[in-house]
Amino acid sequence: MNSPSPITLTASSGFKGSRDQGMEKNLMSRRVVVTGIGMVTPLGIGKERFAQALFRGESGIKEIAAFDTSSFPSHLGGEIREFSARDFISAKYLRRMDRLSQIAVASSRLALEDAKIVVNTANRDHIGIILGTAFGPTDLKVHCARILFTEGPMMINPILVPNSVMNAPAGHASIELGFRGVNTTVNHQAASGETAIVYAAMEIQRGAADIILAGGADILSEFFFETLVRFKAISPVNGGKEGARPFDTHRNGPVAGEGCGIVCLEVLEHARERGVIPYCEIAGWGMSSSPASPTDWPADAKGISLAMVRALNSAHCAPDVIEMIQAASNGGKNPDRIESDACLHLFGSETAVPLVSSLKGATGESFSSGGVRAASLALSLREGMVPPTLGLVDPIVQLPFVTGEARKIDIRNGLLNAFSYGGTNVSIVMRKIEQG
Amino acid sequence: MHKERVVITGLGTVNALAKNIVDFTHALKSGLCGIGPVTLFDTTDFRTHSGAEVNNFKPQDLIPSQFSLKRMSRADLMVFAAAIEALSDARLFPFPDALCEDTGVVLGAGSGGKLEGESFYRDYIETEGRNARFSMLASVCPAASADHITTHLGLMGPKTTFMTACSSGATAIGFARDLIERRAATVVIAGGVEPLCRTTYASFNVLQAVDPEYCKPFDRNRRGLSLGEAAAVVVLESLNHAKERGVPIHGEVLGYGISCDAYHMTTPDSEASGAARCIQAAMADAGISAAAVDYINAHGTATPANDAMETRAVKKVFGPHAYRIPISSTKSMTGHTLGASGALEAIVSVLSITHDFIPPTIHLHDPDPECDLDYVSTSARESAPHIVLSNSFAFGGNNTALILGRFTEKGIQNE
Repeated sequence: MNSPSPITLTASSGFKGSRDQGMEKNLMSRRVVVTGIGMVTPLGIGKERFAQALFRGESGIKEIAAFDTSSFPSHLGGEIREFSARDFISAKYLRRMDRLSQIAVASSRLALEDAKIVVNTANRDHIGIILGTAFGPTDLKVHCARILFTEGPMMINPILVPNSVMNAPAGHASIELGFRGVNTTVNHQAASGETAIVYAAMEIQRGAADIILAGGADILSEFFFETLVRFKAISPVNGGKEGARPFDTHRNGPVAGEGCGIVCLEVLEHARERGVIPYCEIAGWGMSSSPASPTDWPADAKGISLAMVRALNSAHCAPDVIEMIQAASNGGKNPDRIESDACLHLFGSETAVPLVSSLKGATGESFSSGGVRAASLALSLREGMVPPTLGLVDPIVQLPFVTGEARKIDIRNGLLNAFSYGGTNVSIVMRKIEQG
Repeated sequence: MHKERVVITGLGTVNALAKNIVDFTHALKSGLCGIGPVTLFDTTDFRTHSGAEVNNFKPQDLIPSQFSLKRMSRADLMVFAAAIEALSDARLFPFPDALCEDTGVVLGAGSGGKLEGESFYRDYIETEGRNARFSMLASVCPAASADHITTHLGLMGPKTTFMTACSSGATAIGFARDLIERRAATVVIAGGVEPLCRTTYASFNVLQAVDPEYCKPFDRNRRGLSLGEAAAVVVLESLNHAKERGVPIHGEVLGYGISCDAYHMTTPDSEASGAARCIQAAMADAGISAAAVDYINAHGTATPANDAMETRAVKKVFGPHAYRIPISSTKSMTGHTLGASGALEAIVSVLSITHDFIPPTIHLHDPDPECDLDYVSTSARESAPHIVLSNSFAFGGNNTALILGRFTEKGIQNE
């Protein structure tokens, strides 16, 4: 198997003549690597605990503990447990943050620590955050509506207002951790986290920042759980045994999850100067849309395939160099069929079909799961291990799914897929980098 | 691989002043005020009652009948109408099949379908969940607006939505520029949308950030912002593509920059460090010097803190030249349209270039001594700006600055 050369697109002389030539060169040649991982997830807090659970095939899906589910047909959830916000956030700021911001700030702190980055006055303007969230603070929204319609609009507590905007978690992270560079929030359904990672890589490539924390955060509130139940969006849709079974013939919907995963992205030379060994490189990406109403899945795999092909082209690699896919499938009727169709279409005729694994059998569907899953793929690349797809017993198609227990295999190129209802698709190629 | 230059070939808007670009241009030149009584919902129990509302919005008059408007929120409809206008302006409507795969949609948003969502919440709360129709939440997500556009037009390019409150629309245009620059898309429909709704109106009211009358940017007696609603859409495409199609070019996206205050969630950093840094980043990206900027469309919300801070930021970046640059806050006319404002003001900036005028800051009669720059008060000024800076500063400390330029073959920044 030929190993592809890293992206070395040559800088042009550029027709923006007066533009800083250094910046022009950087745009095309800066390589972006993952140097840190911060996790607050159903599989544990922190990279070590997460990696251990991931490769041992532990499940984070349990009976929901945070609220009473007895009036609902669904009772399982991938909840964050044993999270103590005080361990990560100063008391001064903690009381101003809702839970969504707490998990985002904690993950950000963990990612910086893992990357061995200390924010100081010299580097703080070149460090940023791009965060994805699919639903934002769902509990706060219903709380504010309750005050609005029962006590009156002027009775909403002003201290809650700053948390009610979706960019609050990234704003809180910047204040608590002190970095002042690029800062933005992506909100596009189940592709929010992956899109945030793509944008962060683009910003680093064009020289707008040296380091960007990127990922996604969503929380599972009681109101949101009820909404998912009413939309028939979670297992057991139309009855059957409740559970997350990605790519399984007997799947009947995803299990609701929550969590925040942050990857620290950094320009390669910067990481090398610091003497940090990156997990992997963000080698390329593709984005696309498929026709679909905002709450429905697309009818076919065309858009999803397009995102994957664009990602491979952007990473300058042929399908046969991809050794594993961290799939988006969550146990839903339609998304799993569409993604498996796309994989068969793209890889089916290849001699080497990549191993396929979905993390959502272990974590549930947290919607902006991009950061958690990118971190998972980064760990796979570093450890040479493909985690099992929990809940998968009877596959819907013939693809080399990893089930039961983790598989040891050297991985140079992995593909991270994100597909959302509403027809939003993102695919990212992550590549092991040569040391030295 | 060289970077594509990115130009603007289409404009479209629905806002309190106008429901198309021609009327909007006229209103900006005439210094009209779009702020009046809010009628979309009952404001009796609120502290204030005025806002920049889009009156008599009839989507069926603006959107061709071939499109089903079912399950679209007010926000979805406003931005779809603006998109249709922008595409028509760019001579891309009906949308050509051959371009579908390489055309994306990037929007900035805020409340999304919250106005409709509030009806659900009211039912849910009043009946303790029994009689609420959860299907009403289907259009509540802000991302729905972009989903509707790609689906209606059959587009398969990149799509996303930014949610950084008041800088969302500007960031959307910046990201869209990046996608085209690096050939991830040939055409991007970019913009922002914000509907008025009770929740947003209540939030700014409890923060005491709303002027009970109308906003008075940079005035000594300013008491806060006026909330507004709008949709604003630009069609961006690569210069080569626009030339091949032989369509008029309204302007060029020269650069943008993003920074963060890391100071406070709702109060801007009085030192203006974050605001100054995003402007500097945008100028570096555009490859221009401070002296090249000849109009600033200010964030200018008319809150006491913002206008003083923004003035400080402009002085910090431009030095003595700050006093020579005409500046205006068009929020005095359109209201503060939050998620749409960055895109709406990008359109204002482009119109100032294409129609040779500086729009005014209306309601500015008694300048604040702390705000001592040239704010073009009361009425529009004839001028022919070449390079315009548009500022957007948001809650969360999210700052975005956009630099737009008059289109010339060589690149205006090189002339």
